[in-house]
Parts: sequence; structure tokens; C-alpha cells
Amino acid sequence: MSPKYAQRITPGARVLVTGASGLLGRSVAARLAELGYQVSTLQRSPSGLSSVREVRGSLTDPDAVRAAVEGQDAVIHMAAKVSVSGRREEFEQVNIGGTERLLDAAWSAGVDNILYVSSPSVAHGGSSLVGVGAGPADPQRAEGHYAQTKAEAELIAESRAEVGMKVLVMRPHLVWGPGDGQLTKRIIDRAKSGRLPLLGTGAPLVDTLYIDNAVEAFSAGLLRLPSIAALPVEQRRLVVTNGEPRPIGELLMGIAAAGGAKPPRLRVPPVLAKGAGAAIEKIWAVTGPHADEPPMTKFLAEQLSTAHWFDQRHTQRVLDWKPSVSIDEGLLKLARHIRRTGKVV
Amino acid sequence: MVSWWRPVPANRARLPHQALTSTPLPGLASTWSRLVEAKSPGGPHTFHVLDTGPVLAERGIKPTGTILALHGNPTWSYLWRGVIAASLERAEPGSAWRVIAPDQLDMGFSDRLAHPEPPAAGAPSYRRLEQRLDDLDALADALDIDTGQPLVTLGHDWGGIISLAWAVRHSSSVDAVSTLNTAVDHPSGEPVPPALRAAMAPGLLPAATVLTDAFLRTTLSLAEGGLDPHVSAAYRAPYVSRLGRGGIGGFVADIPALAQHSSRTALEEASAGLREWEKPALLIWGPKDPVFRDRYLHDLLDRLPGADLHRFEGAGHLVAEDRNISEVLFTWLHQKFQHDAAPAASSPPPAAEVMGLHQQLAQMAASWRRDSPAVVELKDSGASQLSWAQLQEQVEVLASGLHELGVRSGDRVSLLVQPGNQLTVILYACLRLGAVAVVADAGLGLRGLTRAVRSAWPDWVIGEKPGLAAAAALGWPGRRISVDALSPRAAAIAGVEASVQRLLRGGRSAQLDTVPMPAGEDQAAVLFTSGSTGPAKGVIYTHARLGALVALLRSTFSIQPGASLIAGFAPFALLGPAIGATSVTPDMTVTKPATLSAAAVAAAAREGRATMFFGSPAALANVVATAGELSEQQRQDLAGIRLVLSAGAPVHPQLLDRVQELFPTAELHTPYGMTEGLLQADITRPEIHQAMATGQPGVCVGRPVEGVVFALAPLDDLGRPAETLQDPQNVPGKLGEIVVSAAHLKAGYDRLWHTDLRSRRDRYRELLWHRTGDVGHFDAEGRLWVQGRVQHVITTPAGPVGPGVVETPVDALPQVRRSAAVGVGPAGTQAVVVVLEPASGAELGFGSSPLAQPEVSRQVREASSEVPVSAVLVVDRLPTDIRHNSKIDRTALAGWAEQVLAGRRVNTP
Repeated sequence: MSPKYAQRITPGARVLVTGASGLLGRSVAARLAELGYQVSTLQRSPSGLSSVREVRGSLTDPDAVRAAVEGQDAVIHMAAKVSVSGRREEFEQVNIGGTERLLDAAWSAGVDNILYVSSPSVAHGGSSLVGVGAGPADPQRAEGHYAQTKAEAELIAESRAEVGMKVLVMRPHLVWGPGDGQLTKRIIDRAKSGRLPLLGTGAPLVDTLYIDNAVEAFSAGLLRLPSIAALPVEQRRLVVTNGEPRPIGELLMGIAAAGGAKPPRLRVPPVLAKGAGAAIEKIWAVTGPHADEPPMTKFLAEQLSTAHWFDQRHTQRVLDWKPSVSIDEGLLKLARHIRRTGKVV
Repeated sequence: MVSWWRPVPANRARLPHQALTSTPLPGLASTWSRLVEAKSPGGPHTFHVLDTGPVLAERGIKPTGTILALHGNPTWSYLWRGVIAASLERAEPGSAWRVIAPDQLDMGFSDRLAHPEPPAAGAPSYRRLEQRLDDLDALADALDIDTGQPLVTLGHDWGGIISLAWAVRHSSSVDAVSTLNTAVDHPSGEPVPPALRAAMAPGLLPAATVLTDAFLRTTLSLAEGGLDPHVSAAYRAPYVSRLGRGGIGGFVADIPALAQHSSRTALEEASAGLREWEKPALLIWGPKDPVFRDRYLHDLLDRLPGADLHRFEGAGHLVAEDRNISEVLFTWLHQKFQHDAAPAASSPPPAAEVMGLHQQLAQMAASWRRDSPAVVELKDSGASQLSWAQLQEQVEVLASGLHELGVRSGDRVSLLVQPGNQLTVILYACLRLGAVAVVADAGLGLRGLTRAVRSAWPDWVIGEKPGLAAAAALGWPGRRISVDALSPRAAAIAGVEASVQRLLRGGRSAQLDTVPMPAGEDQAAVLFTSGSTGPAKGVIYTHARLGALVALLRSTFSIQPGASLIAGFAPFALLGPAIGATSVTPDMTVTKPATLSAAAVAAAAREGRATMFFGSPAALANVVATAGELSEQQRQDLAGIRLVLSAGAPVHPQLLDRVQELFPTAELHTPYGMTEGLLQADITRPEIHQAMATGQPGVCVGRPVEGVVFALAPLDDLGRPAETLQDPQNVPGKLGEIVVSAAHLKAGYDRLWHTDLRSRRDRYRELLWHRTGDVGHFDAEGRLWVQGRVQHVITTPAGPVGPGVVETPVDALPQVRRSAAVGVGPAGTQAVVVVLEPASGAELGFGSSPLAQPEVSRQVREASSEVPVSAVLVVDRLPTDIRHNSKIDRTALAGWAEQVLAGRRVNTP
């Protein structure tokens, strides 16, 4: 049976991964190649992967996009502009325009299996999330250019189901681990230079996703994409986490310790409730705009001062997947990696 | 006529959804509304009526009965939207209630009457009770109510009075009555409740009710926790203008508080007629009502002794808004009118032949041991004791005196007396007379105690000075009797009309012989639960059920002639005489078990030649803690004790080991039970150690005692107990609600009709069961392991987890004094949180954060190998119940943890 009508997309199938220069995209592409998929990638800078067909270019370049999707069975769309700063138009061009362009090209080329990689932030504002599921993307509620444009793009991707495309949305939450130059490296660097004060109680429960589990979850998502995409819309949006909510303070201390940094001291400023978001933002503040940064905005800062954890029952059931690396095991792996290589990335 | 009064013109009835353009009516469907013309006095008038008849007809369902629901003042039929929605939800062919809820005339969206004059008692343009009954007659005719089917009235406030009066008027066609807070009588001469006084003052009445919406707003503000703004607006909608409020004033003016009031006769006819009512009656009550207070409930119960009562503790005047009354109402209707062929259930036979407690005492007093001590009490001042004969003598003398004073069989007597010889005499005197002892101990705290006494509504209060002072200050019901003789002045202040001391100086009167011995099925006592899981509940025991308990205690602990027990746990102090053992009350504050010292136990052991010691875990802990003060002689006194029993809450095995060192020759037991059934399972210390070695979660409480049958209701993924019970043998290791059947269980919950029905809903093996609300499992050896309460179960994505699965291994960590595992997040996907109380000297916290140190968290996660732990928090002290000081309040703790872990700044739990 041709992949177009199969219930599964099995090794051997041709898969395009966009945004393969980031940790997650690169790892997923490498893993799929390892599993026997014929992997192509589309990104601006070299991916450093050897066993893939690499198309260099931007989502804003119609020719590159057309060339990349040609002859594919499925697309994993991970590329996005995630910078902290920049004008709204730039986000719109890449995240909304780029996604539309990719979807159009795929449709023209007869590629109808789409795995759209999104973020839980598309559905929520800054409030506390306690064991919630994956609600619909809502550009009105999402905060910041990144989340708002990703929300728009997710709605566009979801709407393509109406013309017969098979669309699965996966929303990983806070990916970390060896090779992560953003969250993981930043925490360790700051802890080492003594600039990681833990403000507040450090108690809010936060879900994260260890990189290896993320890769396995995306592999599982690709494999079962056609059958999951046949479910009602609210069941084909999957927030993906380790399913182990932990106090944010404990996670930060654990990552810092894995990097050999002294555990940061916990500080409880007298007036906390109000300025929490802004205060924590300072920890995450970046020095200047870089491409492909995680969205270290006030929004993320708020996320980290309130609870952010999710109901994983549906995700694990439909993916038939469970995280194989626990957070504690992940921290040990990270520590071993840093000891061996001397660095995070 | 008041010069500033401006006449109110008549106005036509309207359909609310048409009349209102901008006010939403949450919960009210326009399809329920209709306008009905009726030939009412001075009419015809048009009434707005909510009627589910058409909706049911459209669904092709023929009603099998009718509920006529009448709102009060100043609400409208909107009050019944929940009942209507529930009736439609439950409606199915062969079982459907049609609900008819009219807006009374001049109220809601019904016709407005013209009022040339302001409202006042007897003012002619306003409806009076008599006319309102005629209105209802006319409406019933116009609505074509099927009297061939059951007809049930439902009322609230003024609607309660009118609906009851109407049911009395048509007692042949009305098949059952039900009402929420209302009153059918107000003793003339008694002041009206202060909450109403202002509105009823003739000079203020028009202003408070019609000219302004003060009365309306005050009433709506009585909803507990406040009404949703849209709901509140919906209630106000028909009354926003002065022109709509004539009826509100008319109702207030029609309150027949004075003897000469024009509606007094109609009211008295109705209230007298209620005494003749023999068909089903249901009362649903919110006790936090400033107007219809418990005294009116008591009056209703007096007139309707057969009524079923569900009293929602914490709910108020708008109980229909505060609680799910539909659940109670429809369950009750189902029970009364839909006779299922449920087999009759009964309790298993008792462990031994059952005798009344007072008869047991009489038998001892007549035996060869008549002159040996029955009760011994130790105080600072020394020991006092009574022999069996003396005890029996005093009981009979006091019973004679109480009877002469007017205490009768079935009267409720609240006992606010410290355990000791005197309480024993008073209790057995009550038992002899057939009066019902209400025992709410000070362990509930003053607030809890007040709630308990109000709910039990005693006819009499026998108390010591502090109890009487509280009774006087807080307006507790009941005629007062003091224990000590008071000076006339003090007695007058406390409202005391007699004293136990003086009554004891009288003699045994021959009158007592004419008082029949209470029957086995008569109520004997109302005991209160500890209230550690919601408001304390009154638990009713009959003479037969207390007798079964006594028989069981005798056989389980092989109590022989000459046995003597030190009662460090209040219930046993009272049962001692019936068991046939000498009861020794040590020098302690029984309501504060942690005040019992080792020396006090030794003194009691010596004075009372004690062979047994019954204590609570908190008392045992203090005895062990104060053991260092014992002399060699005192240690020897303790060595004479052969049986130590700890009841009320789980005991840590390590504590038991230390207790054993203190009582080297004693056998240690930790029985399992609850206020609703004091002894269900039993285990000894060596058996506990054997059980613990198997590493199962929770606290092992042993095997069922004689005559007790257990069943298990397994939990589903969301932690809900199954409706179908299982034989424990068939589901070893399965987590479920513990369900029990025995002859000595509660006879019922007091004034909690629905709670009682739910607790005894099972019909498995045709036995009468009690849902304990505890969760645990039975192991393959038939031992029961308890893990806490049903509501303490953590529903993780991997399934329900009893807190014990986590706590048992964590408690074993040396730096932990005790721990509590709670769930945060939505049911079914909860995260597990462990809260630690550090062992003395251990520093587990992380600065000022509630988080544990990372290393401590790591150890806790490692210990809880079966269940992943999300967060580990540290507190100085885990919150516990007042009575036992040992049951961890996991519900409060879970609420606290949820706040902390959501990032909110909170203090201690």
C-alpha cells in the first residue's frame, strides 16, 4: 500500500524535516534516518547531518520549499522564528507565511501527511496551568509575537484537514538535555557565573521534555500520523512532556548541578506576587537578538513563576509512547555528557 | 394613610423571556414558561407558571406524578430551575415528574394587583394566606393536574407555609409534602427573629419592601458565598421597579406574628392540621438561616414526627442555591413512590446475647459483686468510687428526679459533662428513662460543638459550669440542668432549673417503676464524628446496637469478673459499667488526650486495680513521653496491666514497641473502628510486626472481629468507589472503599436523610451495610490495610493510589517524623506531592522555601519506588484533627500544596 493510504508511515518512507539546524530538528532527522526513513532537511545553515538529503534555504524562498517537498511522503514542520525580539512582520513572514507556503507546496506536490510542531503557549496566556489538556490555538490569548504567530499558523495547518490533508499537531514543552544550546546551556552558564538567583519559592510545578523522549515522541507521531490525523480535531493536538511535573527551582538546580555549577541560592524577595514575571525575566534576559533562540520573553518568565503542567494521558495513549528517560536519568545523562565533552553543546 | 405613598397600579402577567431583553436568565429555558388564567378570588388573574408538562409531552413522556413547587418572598419560580432541570434529566417513560412552579399572584411575572394603600397587616388590596390558598385552588383547576397520579407539594419560605397549608386542605389528593426552610407557627408572644423585625415594623414596612428593594437585596445576600451576578439579577428582574414590589410588602405584612393578625386563624388551622399528616414528608434545611432558624425546624419535626430530614450543615436560607437539593428530593421521591423490589437488609447476628446497657448495670448491682467498685475516678484531690450497688442506686434516684422534672422517653439530653463517675450516673439515668443522650465532646471545638448541639436540638442540657455558660452565651436549645447545685442567682443567669446534685439528694420514686424499660429499637444515643472530614455528623445508636457493642467488647477482649479498665478514651468510660468491668477515670483532661501522663495511669492502675488500659494514640504517646518520671513502684503498678488497647486512629509500630516496654506483661491491641461502628477489626502488636514485614502499603488493622462482615468497593480510575461490592477474598490487594456490616453499627445518621441513605445503599448478600469512607485493601491472608479516606486517594495517570503507598516507605526514613501524600491537579492526572514533618532536630527545608532540600527530595523519591513523586514539601507540623490529634487533614494539606505548587505565596497549611 502506498504511504498515502497507509495507516502508518513506516521506515523507508520519505520525510522532510524543516528546521533541522536546531537541537530538536537535527536530533529528530538523525533518528529518523537511523530508523531507515529517507530523510530530507530544509534549513538555512548546514545541519551537520551526513545521511540526509539537505536542501538549504529559507521558508520564505518558494523555490527552496518546492524543491524540499518534492517527492516526499510526509513533512515534519519544525522551522520557525523563535527570537525574543524583532518586528511582528518578520514573525508573520516566517511562521505564518512560511507555513502556508510549505503547506501549499506540499498540497501541490501531493504530500498530505503533515506533522506540525507547535508549542503549548499557542493556547494559553500567562495564567497557572495545572494538569490541563491541549486546548485550541488562540492567537488572542497567546502572548508575544512568537506564540501569536505560531497559533495562527497552527490554525492554518489544522484547517488543511478540511481539504483532505492529514495533520497532526505536536506541542513539546521546554525541551532540554545534552546539545541544547538554549535553555540548558543558559542555565548552566548563568549558574556558573553566579547569575542564576532563584526568585520566589521555586515551587511552581513545571513540565519539561528530555530531548531523547522528544525524539521518540516525534518518531511515534510520524509513524501513527495517518491514524491520529483521522481523530476529531481536539484529539489530534498533542502536548508532549515527560509527564513528570517538578518544582521549577528543583529543575533549575538539577540542571545547574549537572553542569558542575554550584547550586544557586534561593532568594525570596519580600514583595513577590506582582513583579514575579518581570523579575524572573531578568534571569532569562538575552543580551541581543539571535536567530533561532527560544522565546525568552516575559511570557516564558511568567510561565516559570506559575505552574505549567499538562495532562499526558491522551498523548501517551494515541502515540503508544511513554518517555523512556526519566528526569532524574536525564540529569545523570546530561552530567555525564558535560563531564565527557566539557560542554553542553 | 402614609402621606408619601403613591398608589401602585395593576399590571398584566408577562413571559419572562419576552419581558426581559437585557437580563439573561441562567438555567431557565423559555420552553418551561407559560401564562395561565385562573379564576382566583377577585379575578380571573393570569399567572406565570413554569410547567414541564408540555416539554414532557413533546418528548413523548407521560408524567407519573406531579410536583407543585411554590416559591417564597421575595423570590419567584426561578428558585426551582435546578429542580426542573433535574426532573427533566431524570424523566424517562414510566418514571417522570411533571414540575409545576407558579409565580404567586403579585409576584414574579404573574399579574400585579393595584394597591391604593401601603402594605400593612389586613390592608385590603394585598393577598392574605387564605386568599393565596384559594389562588392555588384556582390554579390547580386551570392547570388540570392529574390527581390520579401522585401529587407532591414543594415549598420554600412563604411558599412552604402555603404549600403545607394547601396540602392539609387537600389531604386526600396530596400524596406527600416537602419543603425547604419555612415555619408553620410562630408562638405568639415570642419576638420575631431580629432579621425580620426591621422590615416588619409598621412604620418601616412599605419603605423596606416596596419603596426600596432593601428586603429583596437582603434576602438575596443570604446565599452562602454570594450568588453569581447573573443569577442575582435574574432574581431581581421582576422586582426592579417599585411598581413590581407590591407583593413583597404584602407578604411581609401578612406574617401573622401577633395573635390578632388577620391570617392567624388560617395559619393555625394549617399548623394544627399538619399534626394529622401521616403521608410522607421531606424537610430540606439550611441551618444558617437568620430567619427560619432551627427552632422552626424543631417545631416542624414536632408536628411531622415521621418526616425525613436532610439538614445541609453550612447552607442557609437559599438552600436551593447553596446545595444540590434536587439530588435529595428525587432520591426521596424515588424511594417513596417507585418501590423497587430491593430485598430487605439486616445486620449479621451480634457476637453474643444483647441486653440493654441499663439492664447490664442492674444485673451487676444484683450480683455477688454488688459491693465491689464499679466506677473509680482520680483527681488532684484524691480518688472517689462507687460500688455497683451504689451506682445503680444513684442512677435510679437521678432517673426518678429527671422523670419528675419532665424528662421523657425519646427526649434528647445533651451531656456537657467531663467523663467521670458523674457522667456515668447521668448517662445511665438517661438510658433507663429512654431519653437519648447527645454526646458531642469538646474535641470538636466550640464552633463545632455549637453546630453539633444545634443540629441535634436537645430538649435538655445537663452540663457543668463551662458547658452551661457556652449554652447560655451561644443560645443553645434545651432546658438546662446543672451538675453542681448553683446559687439561685447563678442558676437564674444560666437559665438552670435544677441540679443533678440536688436531684441525687431525693429518693428513688415508685413512679420510676411505671416508666417502661426502653425497647431495643429505641434511640439511646447520638454520638458525633470527629469532623476531620467535613462538619461533624450525628450518629444514632439504638439500645440494641449499643448492647451489641457491649457484647462484642466482652467477647473480643475476654472480659471476666474482676476486670478493671482505665479509660483514656471517652467512649469506653461510658461503656465500662455495661461491660461489667470497673471503669477507672485517670486524672486527665479526657478531651485533650495528650495530657495523660504515665504517672496518672500508674495511679489509676493502683487505685482501681486495673487490668486494662484503653487509650488513644495521642494519650499513649504522652504516656511514653512521660515514662521517665515514673518511680519503681509506679512501674510495678503498670506491670499489672494485662491488656492495652489503642483506638481512634492508627498507631506507629515504633510507638507500640515503646508502650510494650512500659507494660511488659500486657497484650497490645490496635482495633479499627469509627464513630459509626466502634470496633470492626483487631490486631495485636506481634501481628502488626508480622504484617509490616510484608511491605504492603497503609496501616494493617488486622482481621474482622466476631460478627463483622467486610466488603470492598474497588475504586475506578478517578478514585470513585464501585457501586457493586466485592468479597474481600476475591480481590486481594485491590484498593477500594471499605464497607462493613455488623450488629453494633450505627442505626443511622441524625437529620442527614440523604447522607444516611447513601451510606447504607448496598444490598450485597442482603446485609445492611455501612460505607465507611475509608480506603484500603485486604491481603491474601485476610488482613485489612487502611490508607485513609476516599477523598484522600490520589488519582494519578497510572490509576488511583492510596496515600499509604507513598507514606509507608517515606515514614521509614530516619529524618522524617511523619509524612502525608496528597494529589494536586485534576482527577485522573494528579501529581503526587509528599509533605514532610521532620524528625526532631532534622533540618529538611530549603531556606524559606516550602521545598525540601534536593537531597531530601531525592531520598523521598527513591523511597517511594512504586509511585513517582512530583514535589516534596516540608512543614513544621502537619495539620491534624482536634479530637485524636493524629488524623492528618490531607484535604487541607492538598489545598495548600496546590496553591504553593501553582506559584502562589501562602503560609502554613
